[in-house]
Amino acid sequence: MARRFLTLYGLLFFVFIYAPILLVVVYSFNANTVNMMIWSGFTFDWYRQIFGMETQVTESAIYVDSTDQLYAAIRTSLTVALSTSAFSTICGTALALAVARYRFRLAGFYRTLLMVPMIMPDIVLGIALLIFFITIGMNLSLMSIIIGQSTFLISYVFVTVSARLAEFDTSVEEASADLGATPAQTFRKVTLPGIAPGILGGWLLSFIISMDDLVITYFIAGTGNTTLPIHIWGMLRRGIKPEINAIATLMLLFTLVIAAIGLYFRSRRQK
Amino acid sequence: MPAHLEIIGARKAFRTPEGGTMTALDGISLKLASAEFLTLLGPSGCGKTTLLRTISGFETLDDGDIVIDGVAVTQMPAHKRPVNTVFQRYALFNHMSVARNVGYALEIAGKSKREITARVGEMLELVGLSGMGKRSVSQLSGGQQQRVALARALAGKPKLLLLDEPLSALDKNLRQKMQQELKSIQRELGIGFVFVTHDQEEALTMSDRIAVLAHGRIQQIDAPSVLYQRPANLFTADFLGESNLLPVTLDGMSAHLADGQSFEVARPSGKATLLLRPEALAVTPPAGPSLSFSGRITQTYYSGKDHQIALDTGQLGPLTALIRTGGTPPEIGATVTLHAPAHGLHLIDETAA
Repeated sequence: MARRFLTLYGLLFFVFIYAPILLVVVYSFNANTVNMMIWSGFTFDWYRQIFGMETQVTESAIYVDSTDQLYAAIRTSLTVALSTSAFSTICGTALALAVARYRFRLAGFYRTLLMVPMIMPDIVLGIALLIFFITIGMNLSLMSIIIGQSTFLISYVFVTVSARLAEFDTSVEEASADLGATPAQTFRKVTLPGIAPGILGGWLLSFIISMDDLVITYFIAGTGNTTLPIHIWGMLRRGIKPEINAIATLMLLFTLVIAAIGLYFRSRRQK
Repeated sequence: MPAHLEIIGARKAFRTPEGGTMTALDGISLKLASAEFLTLLGPSGCGKTTLLRTISGFETLDDGDIVIDGVAVTQMPAHKRPVNTVFQRYALFNHMSVARNVGYALEIAGKSKREITARVGEMLELVGLSGMGKRSVSQLSGGQQQRVALARALAGKPKLLLLDEPLSALDKNLRQKMQQELKSIQRELGIGFVFVTHDQEEALTMSDRIAVLAHGRIQQIDAPSVLYQRPANLFTADFLGESNLLPVTLDGMSAHLADGQSFEVARPSGKATLLLRPEALAVTPPAGPSLSFSGRITQTYYSGKDHQIALDTGQLGPLTALIRTGGTPPEIGATVTLHAPAHGLHLIDETAA
């Protein structure tokens, strides 16, 4: 009895978590152009429309203002995410190595300082960054988005790489030195391959978060630098449209693929 | 024989997290002849691992010098020293194959591919892992990993091999097999081995000489048989093997036990301690003068070839003896008399620290 209750509870729990996401995916295939909550048949039209292909949707039902704008937003997001994740990964990894390897005063304090941006409310960080950029007289641009996002994404990479470093056995570095390797050789041949899964994980995580960030980016994007989340937000303000379901589903797929790549490399390393 | 490794007045102190200092090495000097198997033996925290790490270059000395083949290496970083180490937990490179692990030192030294392949094959054969070069390290058993670690450390032809409790993670049978192999490899290569262990049996079987360490100092450095039969102080006597330590008073001509027995010994008067190893006691009295001890058996342990018994002698306190009884086990509660020959007894001076 108790067992059956627990099973039911478990089931309901997962419905609670995944039902909204599943709904979006289902709606993205709904042919009903007027009310997406009423199923009126299966269609790929919303996807075709995103990719600028011919559809059977009547003119009046077309909502996407222009696929060009959508593509531009995706390009912006990819540019930002690639730059931000690369920059954050390098800085975050270097910081994790420094904090893990060197004994210095206030090391614990630095560690805490590096974690704080992760728990900082997005809205506070967004406002703070905006005010900061205005204060130093920097124009809001792609650069300001990259710098702004990096301020908290470095923390994510730092935590991911630190976790890997904590379980990394430093005696293999001693073994390498013992066998004649200079510190630089040891780092390249032993340390880097050892913490590579952590670095890769940090990079993927920062890439996904960057692609997905709305609140902070919204404050510091300025005009003309529309990232994908900002673009979608703009579309939503003019009503929830079926194409948004399709875009959301594609983003979901994209994220899952990246996560799968991360998991694949991780399992290969552990073999 | 020329000294191969020489350590002169090595001192090292660590700062404890509480702000105090802990002396790990308190003025250690020793010399190692080439092709000698020296074991650093002592309880945990005695400084043996620290001493080994200062030879390999992972710790720097506060004071003193380390000389290898006439060259002072005290200030030399680890990667430039002509010594290699077999680490306690092997420290193998998990992301490399067995062959790349073994060939690492040669790869670093920039040797040709062909030379590396030849040497790796040679080393794998030496440790009995021929044909396993392509395997991943994590596919190997503990004993095999141990062999890879040994092959890796030897591949670069070090002048001196350092071994940090390398056998402690192996089970008993494998450990005994590896002890013999290590010893024969050392003889074959003719290089010096400095071996760290806390296992006295291991030390006794393998070493040419053993340095017994405690509190950051060498208590005694000697051949295993000398250490066992003629320990210089109470620490060594107690640490190495089972021992019965009985206080005696000396009057210049003989030594007197607390129960009135005495034996002849040419020593100045004073106090000393008599060392009686358990195997020196026997049920049948020896020819010639002997000491005898009567008492009640309080414990017996059967070890396969003989019985170890604990005897309560009353006045002299408890004694441990190893006796061969040929089948009939001694019974707890029974009273026996054990004898030890009264010549060749070893006395430890009270003044020896």
